[in-house]
Amino acid sequence: MQSKQLIKPFLAWAILLVTIQGLYGCASPAETKGMVAQVNTSTTHPFSVGIRTQGGSETGAMDPSMISDTDFAKAIEESIINGRIFTSVVHGKASDYELGVTILNFNKPMFGGSFTITLETAWSLTNTTTREAVMRKNITSTHTASFGDSVVAVTRFRLALEGAARKNIKQGLEEIAQIAIKQ
Amino acid sequence: MLTQLARNITVATLLAIISLLSGCAVNRATATVDPSANLGSIKAIHVIKFGPDNKSIDSLIADKIRSMGLTATTGEIPAANSDAVITYIDKWMWDITMYMIELTIQVRDPKDNFTLAVGNSYHTSLTRKSPAEMVDEVITNIFKGK
Repeated sequence: MQSKQLIKPFLAWAILLVTIQGLYGCASPAETKGMVAQVNTSTTHPFSVGIRTQGGSETGAMDPSMISDTDFAKAIEESIINGRIFTSVVHGKASDYELGVTILNFNKPMFGGSFTITLETAWSLTNTTTREAVMRKNITSTHTASFGDSVVAVTRFRLALEGAARKNIKQGLEEIAQIAIKQ
Repeated sequence: MLTQLARNITVATLLAIISLLSGCAVNRATATVDPSANLGSIKAIHVIKFGPDNKSIDSLIADKIRSMGLTATTGEIPAANSDAVITYIDKWMWDITMYMIELTIQVRDPKDNFTLAVGNSYHTSLTRKSPAEMVDEVITNIFKGK
């Protein structure tokens, strides 16, 4: 009887550790559709743009959700097309302007009913012919995902990250929509 | 009965060790440069000391920059003639002794504080590097393609 009581705490710890391990492994990357922003603007720059994202990373088995460069670029591309901010988005080097977006950092909360993630990125828009930068700005955005959004911690984390990315894209593209770009 | 207890304790201990060790040998070194940046034109850099840094990492960064033939200054207020400003965040962990687990360095334009380049190195305990080696790795990666 006494030994059973001794075993219980150890088994409880073992189950807890395995559960934590399992939850880490369940993390999924931030999805493109969750990061696409609705940008309301009447401005359409009469140029083509290419998108270059960097600083992101794939979500590893032991990582929390991360933003991949490819998914972030797709989300920016869809947001530009939906908001008609440029006449076209070009893949490759044949564009009039190059939009560079670098993911600088974001915090990774581990515990709590609500996860608040702050994402900092660096945005630049460069004329591909003259190499003149017409816009350069660091943009910081924050989004909170609460227990009501998801009871599963790893999903809550991903939703917070996607929300921060979506707001970041919205701010960045609204900045771009407001600048006057010369022919 | 005691044998069963010992077996369960062993299993629990093993799981605990696996759980802790699974994150023990992580190595990551990345650097990105903004497409609008021209790091090759930078001749003088000012390193702004990170507030909580009491291990003089700013001096290590400045020394590394000088070894590359550039001018480097340190202090809380950027020198007027700086072409770029460096900010950094160093994170430390304890495992038998204190070691730097992560170093992030940003190269900024002093005119608008825009981040021209960012580099990060992350080495956990088993593959730890000295602060000077961490600085060397990050700065080298940032300026590799200039």
